[in-house]
Amino acid sequence: MGEILDEIADCVPALRRYARALTHNRDGADDLVQDCLERAIRKRSLWRPIGPIRPWLFRILLNLHRNELRHLRRNPTAAPLDEFTERLATPGSQFEHAALAETARAMERLPDEQREALLLVAVEGLDYRQAAEVLEIPVGTLMSRLGRARTALRQMTSENGRPVLKAIK
Amino acid sequence: MSGQEQDITDNDVLAYADGQLDGDARDRVERHLTADPAATALVREWQRQNGLLEALYGPVARESVPERLQPQRLARLRKASDASSWRQLAAALALLALGTGSGWLAHGFLAGDRGMAEPLVAQAVEAHDLYSGDVLHPVEVKAEDSAHLQTWLSKRLDRKLSIPDLRSDGLNLVGGRLLPAAGGEPAALIMYEDDSGQHVSLYVVPTDDGGETALRYNNVDGLEAISWTDEDVHCALIGGLPRARLEAIAKAAYAQLI
Repeated sequence: MGEILDEIADCVPALRRYARALTHNRDGADDLVQDCLERAIRKRSLWRPIGPIRPWLFRILLNLHRNELRHLRRNPTAAPLDEFTERLATPGSQFEHAALAETARAMERLPDEQREALLLVAVEGLDYRQAAEVLEIPVGTLMSRLGRARTALRQMTSENGRPVLKAIK
Repeated sequence: MSGQEQDITDNDVLAYADGQLDGDARDRVERHLTADPAATALVREWQRQNGLLEALYGPVARESVPERLQPQRLARLRKASDASSWRQLAAALALLALGTGSGWLAHGFLAGDRGMAEPLVAQAVEAHDLYSGDVLHPVEVKAEDSAHLQTWLSKRLDRKLSIPDLRSDGLNLVGGRLLPAAGGEPAALIMYEDDSGQHVSLYVVPTDDGGETALRYNNVDGLEAISWTDEDVHCALIGGLPRARLEAIAKAAYAQLI
């Protein structure tokens, strides 16, 4: 169990990053990660999953997140206004604050399934096969979600106030 | 050579921009890009998006991890709480040994009554009795269509379910069906069979209360029943098998179902 815990611990920074990017809410994201870890540790003591730990953890996190979204849809409360964009501090970034804030807002408007897919590939660095496994979809479906996410994101953002590119084809 | 490169699709360009290609596949896209400025601009845009997203979210992974998210600590806490529930269980068993009167009090404790447990088991046993005895149509969707079974039941219960693979516990999937639970909400019955033809049913009802419980044990008219709640489903496993064997099966089902 000790080694496994070390392996899980190595994944925590990435899980926090993914959760924060999904929720744009610091405390909510960490709650999600904590639930995920508790669940993983509990399941781990009963059953050793086949295969690498990281995709397994992402899958648990994602399922918990989706349950939470479903619960929120059924029991709508005044969602705490997300402070992610306001807190955005990016010293030394090659991008301007405005461009990042705009991207953050655009990410919030993406459909859940597109955001989940894009973040796994673009931020978490999973290859297509791994990302498809985490999302439990075929690679072709993953790519079409990625394509739609990227196109939507491009349409919602601009460079110097102008659309960056005309769509090809 | 150029004829071959006309096969390049938007997906190839996407995969290239995401660094998913190597060897020949990458070379092919690169050759294509030299002749297609629009595709080149697209690659640049996708890579700029990756850069923006990394700048936006990357720093989170470099923050120091709060103590409450340290797996070692969480595992220690869990061990401590397990130990205390064993102590409670031992105390309850001691009560049980004192006599029937106090034994009855302990019964409620052992069963871990949370309101739902008993009706759940009763419904599960009813469903098991009704369908496991049906030689012609014990299930609606057979094991051959297990992929369909999984998506169908997940959709109807509005839960992401996996149909547990219990072959290492000697059980083959027969199939599953949808049926109404007591409150009219949909419930799933997933049926298994061992080599001797013994049926085991896994009964699943969605719930919104969530949470987790320990495994609860019941014996109903000679059938063993093990029930539990996991996140957002109540489950009961029913079968005419020895309790220890059913417990091993319950743990395997618990680990895989959601």
